[in-house]
Amino acid sequence: MKRTTLALAAAGAAAALTLSACGGGGDTPGSDSTGGTVDPDEEITLTMTWWGNDDRAARYTEALELFNEEYPNITVQPTFSTWDDYWTARATEAAGNSLPDVMQTDLAYLSQFGNRNQFLDLTPFVDNGIDVSGMSDSLLASGQVGDALVGIPQSTNTLALFYNPATLESLGVDAPDAEQTWADFVDWSVAAAEAGASLDPQLYGTGDFTGVFWLFVQHLVQEGIEVFDADGQVAFSEQDVVDWLQLVAPLRDNDLFMAPEAVAQLEPLGGFTANLFATEFSWDNFLAGYLADSGAESLEMLPLPVGSTGEHAQFFKPSMLLSASANTQHPEAAAALIDFLTNDPEVGAIFGTSRGVPSSESARSQLSAEGADAQVIAFEEEWADVITESTPVLPEGYGSIEAEWLRLASELAYGNITVEEFASQWMSAAQSTLS
Amino acid sequence: MTTTHPPATLTAPRPSQRRARMRETIAGYTFLLPWLLGFFLLTFGPMVASLYLSFTDYDLFEANWVGLDNYTGLFSDPRYLKSVQVTVTYVLISTPVKLVAALLVAMLLNARRRGLGFYRSAFYAPSLVAASISIAIVWKAMFVDDAAVDSFLQIFGIDTGGWVGNQDLTMPMFVLLALWSFGGPMVIFLAGLKQVPTELYEAAEMDGAGAFRRFLTITVPMMSPVIFFNLLMETIGAFQVFGSAFIISGGTGAPADSALFYTLYLYIRGFTDFRMGYASAMAWVLVVVVGVITVLLFKTSKGWVHYQGDSR
Repeated sequence: MKRTTLALAAAGAAAALTLSACGGGGDTPGSDSTGGTVDPDEEITLTMTWWGNDDRAARYTEALELFNEEYPNITVQPTFSTWDDYWTARATEAAGNSLPDVMQTDLAYLSQFGNRNQFLDLTPFVDNGIDVSGMSDSLLASGQVGDALVGIPQSTNTLALFYNPATLESLGVDAPDAEQTWADFVDWSVAAAEAGASLDPQLYGTGDFTGVFWLFVQHLVQEGIEVFDADGQVAFSEQDVVDWLQLVAPLRDNDLFMAPEAVAQLEPLGGFTANLFATEFSWDNFLAGYLADSGAESLEMLPLPVGSTGEHAQFFKPSMLLSASANTQHPEAAAALIDFLTNDPEVGAIFGTSRGVPSSESARSQLSAEGADAQVIAFEEEWADVITESTPVLPEGYGSIEAEWLRLASELAYGNITVEEFASQWMSAAQSTLS
Repeated sequence: MTTTHPPATLTAPRPSQRRARMRETIAGYTFLLPWLLGFFLLTFGPMVASLYLSFTDYDLFEANWVGLDNYTGLFSDPRYLKSVQVTVTYVLISTPVKLVAALLVAMLLNARRRGLGFYRSAFYAPSLVAASISIAIVWKAMFVDDAAVDSFLQIFGIDTGGWVGNQDLTMPMFVLLALWSFGGPMVIFLAGLKQVPTELYEAAEMDGAGAFRRFLTITVPMMSPVIFFNLLMETIGAFQVFGSAFIISGGTGAPADSALFYTLYLYIRGFTDFRMGYASAMAWVLVVVVGVITVLLFKTSKGWVHYQGDSR
């Protein structure tokens, strides 16, 4: 019966982590630091972690080797995991005050850890160890939790409508129009799916994009509806959720989406990367990955459909940030590492746009002028004037309510719940999570 | 290791005896110490901590007392009720199916035939690896569209389009995985069958009892303590299925929560949503429920389990 008490292990693990945390170095935590640079004679070991695949690990390894050449006295011990396991591990470490010295972080979890003083306030290091001259103030502000700067944005991305020209050709339909409305796009998808119904394998216009919570957030911004209020509560209504989900009713109600059972068989690919969907909404920096996964000759990107005002009203989201632990013994070294990964031109060339478009001008300067990187940059430059909004401030618990949205979308796809049940269940879950 | 000292204090037997006993006690506990430390630090301590945390909103950072909120919240949580439904269904189907299969195969393997040693190993082998992560991965791969299972069924004109991702076929898939690992109870049944005196069968045969009759009136009653033991262990085990559910559903209970086993939901609550207090409450409800079921099984066992030498 010991295994029934799985949760008990959490407490034990926390205790063990506390014990192991006592094993490293001196006793003065670094949070009282006033910024500054690293003592070149001190032998320092930093721990660092990120989420991502093998490709990202190879790029980080290369970047960390460069860092070690620049700072021979600092050794970085890296670890990495997939996104799914990443925050579980960070939370257990945080409970034992043993977060890694430097770690990749995401907006969805930044305030959860930041509000509990788990991250080092990097404000003293701004332009005194960490060069932020190459990034816009509004972007830098997204790393702020309360009065503390707890994350340095590494890169940005924005949502785009991807389409596969080869699939469009098989379907015999024209590409969607860049100035289309959401309803136009649904009509287009209906036509594409009807054209694809007789083909083998059957092709579809798109997948059920209403299940992507970020896309809903972006849609609310387009419509000028407040997403979260100042207290971190949901500010939109249940009816807004229903309206959004009903947007694709012509597709959902006529079986013009691929069956969820069939989509599950495609894993780890999705409908778009299996070249069965003509289009997909996603973050623009996914382009390189999509090209690799799908084997498609080319993929094109459009901005999102316009809202009822006729504006795209898109925003740049920091796709990831770097943060330091509040308990690090070497705040100056941690800051130096963050600065290096943010600004070094060679590091910029190593990562390309795989983490998003680099936030810092100097890192951006060395990006390759061809391939997926160039296409992502060209896309963001071409449509720079439709990116008029800023990312909503995400409340603590955002990660959980986003996951709940995704889960209910799956229930909806299987036909287990109605659109109205989706809206009311999500609302009550969000209210209990965010309270 | 000082016990080899010569008994120098023979003149005063009582205190020396007491001292020797004392020394023995100390030695005993010293040898037990590693286990005791492990038990108190890694099992008992965390259990007490979890009992306390189940009355708090512990989120890995801070714990505020919330009284019985976690416990009362369970019953208005649709996902919790779903996880109970999934788990109870699994226990009710997989346990009897697995036990019947284990008993039947054990009876086949109890016969005196050539190559029995090989068959016993072969039938036991799957249960050695069934709980492993790799088998869950292989299992998933076998049940996707056009993979082994689907291709096999297509020979009979059944096209399932893959079991993974079909919410109606999730439970059968897990039951088959459980069934496949019947080796554990089978070995215990086999040992039990060896204990049944053959003269009972001979006598029954003389009296004209058929094979089925002999099974019902000799094998089952004689085996009832072993059946009871296996029933108990398999029921408790089935309530705790986690690894395979975690791997096959990608840690989410997908598709559409049809693989949302109790322990998996507990894990999601604790380690994905960081609601450790809630997860602790779930763990304690499970402990109590499994405890109650064990007691009930013991109560009913008086009616149907016969121990040799019993007057019944």
